[in-house]
This record gives sequence, structure tokens and C-alpha cells, in this order.
Amino acid sequence: MLKLRQGQVTIALVCVVLGFMLAVQFRTAQDIRSSIPFQRIEDLSQRLSQTEKERDTLLKEINELRQTTSVESATKESENIKMGAGVVAVRGTGLSITIDDSKRLSKPGENPNLYLIHDEDMLKVINELWAAGAEAISINGQRLIATSEIRCAGPTLSVNNARYSPPYEILVIGEPQTLENSLKMRGGVVETLQFWGIQVSLKKQEIVEVPAYKGAFRFEYAKPIKDGGK
Amino acid sequence: MALPLIGLIVGISLGAFFPITIPVEYAKFMSVALLASLDSVFGGLRAGAEEKFDNTVFVTGFFTNALMAAGLVYIGEGLGIDLYYVALLAFGLRIFQNLAIIRRYFLRK
Repeated sequence: MLKLRQGQVTIALVCVVLGFMLAVQFRTAQDIRSSIPFQRIEDLSQRLSQTEKERDTLLKEINELRQTTSVESATKESENIKMGAGVVAVRGTGLSITIDDSKRLSKPGENPNLYLIHDEDMLKVINELWAAGAEAISINGQRLIATSEIRCAGPTLSVNNARYSPPYEILVIGEPQTLENSLKMRGGVVETLQFWGIQVSLKKQEIVEVPAYKGAFRFEYAKPIKDGGK
Repeated sequence: MALPLIGLIVGISLGAFFPITIPVEYAKFMSVALLASLDSVFGGLRAGAEEKFDNTVFVTGFFTNALMAAGLVYIGEGLGIDLYYVALLAFGLRIFQNLAIIRRYFLRK
């Protein structure tokens, strides 16, 4: 055995301190080790509940699909297609937007066109709304469909071959908050329009009714492809 | 040899008895300080075996080493240099060196 001839007492005292430190550090390290998996548990449990929710909705969907017969699902599908085509009037939450020309007088030498609403402005607004998840849009009662045009026609705006003069009222169905935010975004469409004094007013509404497309569909050149799938 | 061992056991039981924990962000400094003190104790044992033991050198060495090590790591943290690993390496090396020497004395009896 190692013989310590000197400093036994001092080393012993220091060893007390050392042992104390050892024990404290040991416990701290244990605490750290046990606290990290705790976070992980929380994370995992959150993910689990999320996945369970997903599973439940999928199960519900399966049940619904099973219950509805093939005829029913076909009618549902045709309903969906009709809504998409815009041949039925639809109702839902959304926005009503009124856009009017600028009341500001143009300064001498300035192009007065800058203070008028153009097809470009309308297209920008409409595009922004589609991007924000709009499901149906009408301008002054004209439902926008796949072949709808928005074009300047002299002092008026042509939508679905009908002429309208300002103010224009746009009705949109979609998530009102999202739609409003998409337009009111910093440096967004509304800000640009308002810079030129064009009056834009947005109103969130619980019920918006977008009318159906009233015109007829004419296909002169396009023919459906029957064989070879949808 | 018995007295230091008894001291160690007393210290450990004291530490186990008092419910003290160090905040997680300071655990790093504590571990470095612990390593420094471990090094000092082994150094002291070695000096004792070599019969070159000096009370003041040992005690001051124990505390200053621990404090300096923790302080250096703290400064390193501030400067963005991981002095933590440097301290670990330096003290670890010295501990093993001291252990080797102590072992030789132990074997020589």
C-alpha cells in the first residue's frame, strides 16, 4: 500500500471538498440527462396526437366514401365540377371589394390615366385573390369562369363580354382573413392602387353570394378526347 | 492512505445529503473545476509519495487550479473559443501522468 507520510490531513480535507463536488456534479449530470429526453417525449407525443388526428379524419373520409353509393358520389362529383365551372350560384364566407376611380385631380402635365382603374389593376387584384385561395369570384355580378376576360374597353371594363363602368364590385368566396391580408399586404396591390388615389374598400362578410355564369359555352375548335383516359 | 479515502467518502455523502444542484448552464464550469481539483489531489498524492509534499502549495494549488480552470472556460465562452476541451485535455493528461507515477510508487511498495 502506498504510504503517505506527509499531508494526510490536508489531502483528506481537500478530498472532502472534492467528494462534495463529485456528488453535486454527478447529480447535475443526471439531471441534464433526464431532462433532455423529456423534451423529446413532449415532441413525440405532440407528433403522435397530430398523426392520430390525421388518421381519424382519414377514417371518417373512408366511412363517408363507403356510405355514399357510386351514384351519390357521381352526383357529388358533377356538383363539384359545376361549381368549378361556375354554372351554379354559390354562397359562403368571403369579401366584398369595391374599387372606384381616383377622386384626386391629376396635376397639370401628368397622365390622367394613372388615376383610372385599368384592366391590369383588376387582373392584379383578381390574381392575388385566386392565389389566396378564392373559390369563386364575380365582378359586378359576372361570375369569373375559365374563359372570362377582363379587358379595358374604352372607358369601361369588359368582363364576360359585358361592359361595366366604375365602381366595380368584386365578390369573393374564400377564407375572409386570408383574402383580406393577401390584398392588404405591405407593398401589395391595395397599397399600390391607393398610391394613385384609387379607392379600394374591403368588407369581410359572413355570407357572400356569387351568381352563376349566365352565358353559354361554345366550343368550335375544342373536341373532347374520348378514348385514352380522362 | 486511509484518511484521504475517509475524507472522500465523507465528502460524497455530504454532497449526496445536501440537495444542491448546479444550473445546467454552469455545469460545464463545474466539471472543469472538478477535473482541476481531481488533478490537484492526484498531484498531492504523488508529491506525498515522493515526499515532496508542501501544505501551502497543495491547498493553494487545489483552489486556484479549480477557480482558474472555471474562469478560463468562462472567458473562452465569451471569446467564442472552446477552452473547455483544452482544459479537459490538459487536466486529463496530467491526471493520467500522475496516476502512472503513483502506480509505480505503489508497485515499488
